[in-house]
Amino acid sequence: MSFFFQELVNGITTGALYSLIALGFSMVYGVLKLLNFAHGDLYMVGAYIGYFVVQWAGGPAAIKIPVALLLVIMFVLAAVLVGGLGVAMERFAYRPLRDAPRIAPLITAIGVSFFLENAALLLFGGQYRVYNTPEFIKLSSGVQIGSVTIDTVQIMVVVLSVALMAGLRLLVSRTLLGKQMRAVAADREAAEMMGINVNRTIAITFFLGSALAGVAGVMAGLLFNQVTNTIGFIAGLKAFTAAVVGGIGSLTGAMLGGLLIGLAESFVTGYISSTYTNLLVFALLILVMLSRPSGLLGQAQLQKV
Amino acid sequence: MMTAPPPAAPPPAGPQIGADEWVARLAERRVYLPSWLGTAQRAAERVGWWPRLALAGLAGAVLPLAGLGGFQLQVGIDALVIAMLAVGLNVVVGWTGVLDLGYVAYFGIGAYGFALLSSAQLNIHLQAYLSLPAVLVGTWLLGLAIGLTSRRLTGDYLAIVTLFFGEAFVEFTNNVAPSKLGGPNGIVAIDPVKGFGASLNSNTSYYYLLIIVLVLTMSVLRLLENSRTGRAWRAVREDPLAAAAMTIPVNRVRLYAIACGAGVAGLAGAIYAAQQVSVFPTDFDTPILILVYAGLVLGGAGSLAGAAAGALVVMVIYDGLLRNAAESGYLFYGLILLTLLVRLRPWRRLAGVLAATIALGFAAHAIARAISASAVAGGPQSGGWIGSALRDWVIVPANSKIAGNWGFVILVCLLIALVQVDVRTRTILLPPVLWLASFVWEARLVTEPSITRQLMIGAILVVMMIARPQGLLGQRRVESPT
Amino acid sequence: MSDPSVTGTVPVEQPPPVLSLESLSLSFGGLRALSDLDLRVGEREIVSVIGPNGAGKTTVFNVITGVYEPSGGDVRFGGQSIAGKPPHAIARLGVARTFQSLRLFPNMSVLENVMAATYGATKATPWESVLRLPRARREERQARELAGDVLSFFGQRLAGYRWDQPAYSLSYANRRRLEIARALATRPRLLLLDEPAAGMNPAETHEITELIGQLRNARELAILVIEHDMHVVAGVSDRVVALDHGVKIAEGSFDTVADHPSVVEAYLGRDPEALT
Repeated sequence: MSFFFQELVNGITTGALYSLIALGFSMVYGVLKLLNFAHGDLYMVGAYIGYFVVQWAGGPAAIKIPVALLLVIMFVLAAVLVGGLGVAMERFAYRPLRDAPRIAPLITAIGVSFFLENAALLLFGGQYRVYNTPEFIKLSSGVQIGSVTIDTVQIMVVVLSVALMAGLRLLVSRTLLGKQMRAVAADREAAEMMGINVNRTIAITFFLGSALAGVAGVMAGLLFNQVTNTIGFIAGLKAFTAAVVGGIGSLTGAMLGGLLIGLAESFVTGYISSTYTNLLVFALLILVMLSRPSGLLGQAQLQKV
Repeated sequence: MMTAPPPAAPPPAGPQIGADEWVARLAERRVYLPSWLGTAQRAAERVGWWPRLALAGLAGAVLPLAGLGGFQLQVGIDALVIAMLAVGLNVVVGWTGVLDLGYVAYFGIGAYGFALLSSAQLNIHLQAYLSLPAVLVGTWLLGLAIGLTSRRLTGDYLAIVTLFFGEAFVEFTNNVAPSKLGGPNGIVAIDPVKGFGASLNSNTSYYYLLIIVLVLTMSVLRLLENSRTGRAWRAVREDPLAAAAMTIPVNRVRLYAIACGAGVAGLAGAIYAAQQVSVFPTDFDTPILILVYAGLVLGGAGSLAGAAAGALVVMVIYDGLLRNAAESGYLFYGLILLTLLVRLRPWRRLAGVLAATIALGFAAHAIARAISASAVAGGPQSGGWIGSALRDWVIVPANSKIAGNWGFVILVCLLIALVQVDVRTRTILLPPVLWLASFVWEARLVTEPSITRQLMIGAILVVMMIARPQGLLGQRRVESPT
Repeated sequence: MSDPSVTGTVPVEQPPPVLSLESLSLSFGGLRALSDLDLRVGEREIVSVIGPNGAGKTTVFNVITGVYEPSGGDVRFGGQSIAGKPPHAIARLGVARTFQSLRLFPNMSVLENVMAATYGATKATPWESVLRLPRARREERQARELAGDVLSFFGQRLAGYRWDQPAYSLSYANRRRLEIARALATRPRLLLLDEPAAGMNPAETHEITELIGQLRNARELAILVIEHDMHVVAGVSDRVVALDHGVKIAEGSFDTVADHPSVVEAYLGRDPEALT
């Protein structure tokens, strides 16, 4: 039984991570109706940034600054830099294609993703970069319930994810910016005619979504320890799964989807075998998509003729 | 409220003078390329499609006789395989407008299918004239099945699900039934294409086989394009709602397109498997999909000739030129110069920019050498006369990796900025950017050809979609309001 | 109508009307788009549907052609219920339409646009097309002839060199004509025209008005027209139906409906000072 709870804990942690990525992805889809295939690669860049911050601070075994400060720097730097990268991406690759047929930005996104992955390969090399988290965050200082261990990193990941998601929800539903984002998502032309600076709103949305991906990348480095240039691809796929299963464009759906994927992954790895994890997650996606084409919480689009 | 108004004057009969004549003389106003290129263009348009195809096929067939051999022949074979895939993908994406991101899975299924039917793996050794059609039909049916399961999905969702099918295929062949499918080690010792006593054993024979199969496939598809099926495909891409209102069964037509695309990919896969003698799961992963899409986008989706030509160009650059670092310099600098020539007008501006770039380079090199000898210790990597010309122009330090990396990042940032700024700033920024590009190329990119060519593919996709979405040979499209 | 007192026999059964909407209702979520709508179109009859914007006129077309499935009631074509059938099946049975916002196949040529609409009437399989077998060649030839016939309806406007031009290069009025030609290529019994005169100048409007009459006479079509331009409505209609908020508010000849108080109110609003 304790095995079940352990897997549950693990599932919730990874679920929180996927939710974060899926949330950013869904935000971008909402305003631009674009499936940003390069979103996973933003997550990868975030993970690398976290790694290099640790190296700069003296390497995992000999951190020269307080751990809390280190973590703050990692997260903030990743958020800002990856957010900026996202904005640059939008400006350069997606803005010219705002009114093009849907196929065009999709193919461009694939190109951007491929370019980013190989740029990372060129700059950082193909070997795995290791965070070595236990060296600087004492994992044993976690919480122990019975024989179930919830270590510090896991707690931090879940707490931070929940905080960020709650903050984002507040932003979207309560603030003026959130209203502008929702307006642009609903009808871009009309929003422009109502005086909303559409370019700025989209840029901010991209920044926020990419920043979330960057933060998720650092979390992934802390949790999974290994960073390489291909982690973005698989994570991106799982984030798509989460966003799409939950209903693309729906922020709650993205969170729900992420949790579902995290739990599914955890239990499959724990109870069956890790070889089949990815395959079964894909199968889950395909099944959900075929039975509910607009996702669990998405709304079927009514076509105006 | 209203009474019937008096009828307005009836319109004049027949075409309006001037308006229709202007349209009628449309042919006279078409712009052709200058001098002999234009004559060739006009001649090509008058002639039907099959002489052009036959000519292209003959040109390809003549190459091995003209001395193409060894490694170059392998490049040719790979190029032809990707061309087959691009042509099949064109049916799905270009004609019917279905974005299939798992297309490479059909390629893999065809390859594995042939591998299982004609190898020692399951000890079935079917002759090619049995296994090839079996694979073709099997993949066609599988495409139909997969299309059927996803028929309720639209656009974006369908793209994602197909992407997952593609990934699922790689995972499947990697992990499931390793004794039968070979797992990560794949299937080896596949039979060559053989039948009626003869068997194809040399690369040259596979090259010819592929040319024949490609020409046949393109012919069949071209004949389909101008039939009711082709019209239905294209109508479904233009406007599915209107097509349905005009008696076209949209789902069935889409399914047929997906199945046909799958069949073509399967056939290509089977021949590929026979030529390679072995298949591995990683042969059918996303990078190959991206290659095919790059070829299709470069050549022009919607055009068979474009798909094949684009794929051939991409593969020749990808495999051939970039494997050989020295030669690739010609391509790199040639492309840059060509872009400048085409986009940078008037001539005085172009001359100014080039002169400034050259001057900047020599000056920077001299300064750098004066400061530190090791800063220029490494030489440019390009071979031939380019390398010697650049020796005193581009700075290549002894340990070029870190500097090259930083240069790369700065270069990408500058390129992004270059697109946003106004023309004057752009002209001023160009010389340093050009020089930096050369630096990055010589110091870093040339030393990692396998990564560089992937970067190039990604760049092709992005740049083509933004600058010229119809590709080199495609037609500009007008989109129907949704 | 047969009068039993004259013939002295059991009255002959009426042929069912070409189109019959019976208590048709459609709801989107909480919004009732159509409520209990009854409408009939007989053979060779031209019926106009009028009403303010948002009244549900195009929605009626969408329900008839199968884009939406009715929430209640029935749609009968030639006596046969077609509610719930997919759009391409309904089109094949003989219902053709044009769209309010022009939905051509823009990158296909004029000829291809029209020939594409012959898909449902042709049976050649793809293999027959590829090998250019007799049936495929015959059907292709017949489709071409039909296209030529249908396009010639518009005289010189869509003739000759125009056939190979992409549809997006045509003038607005020609695009509207092409859409009608394409609809005719499906050999319909019932033609639904959604605002055929929208955006046309008086000369073109007059031409369309005459055209609709000619369509009915030459092609033996029943036609249902949505229009805002009262010149056209007055000029073509055998009968006019007025809708407002998804409900039929008046039906009859043009003069009857035009003066009907509910119709006046729907278009012009109610005079707040007038006595009810």
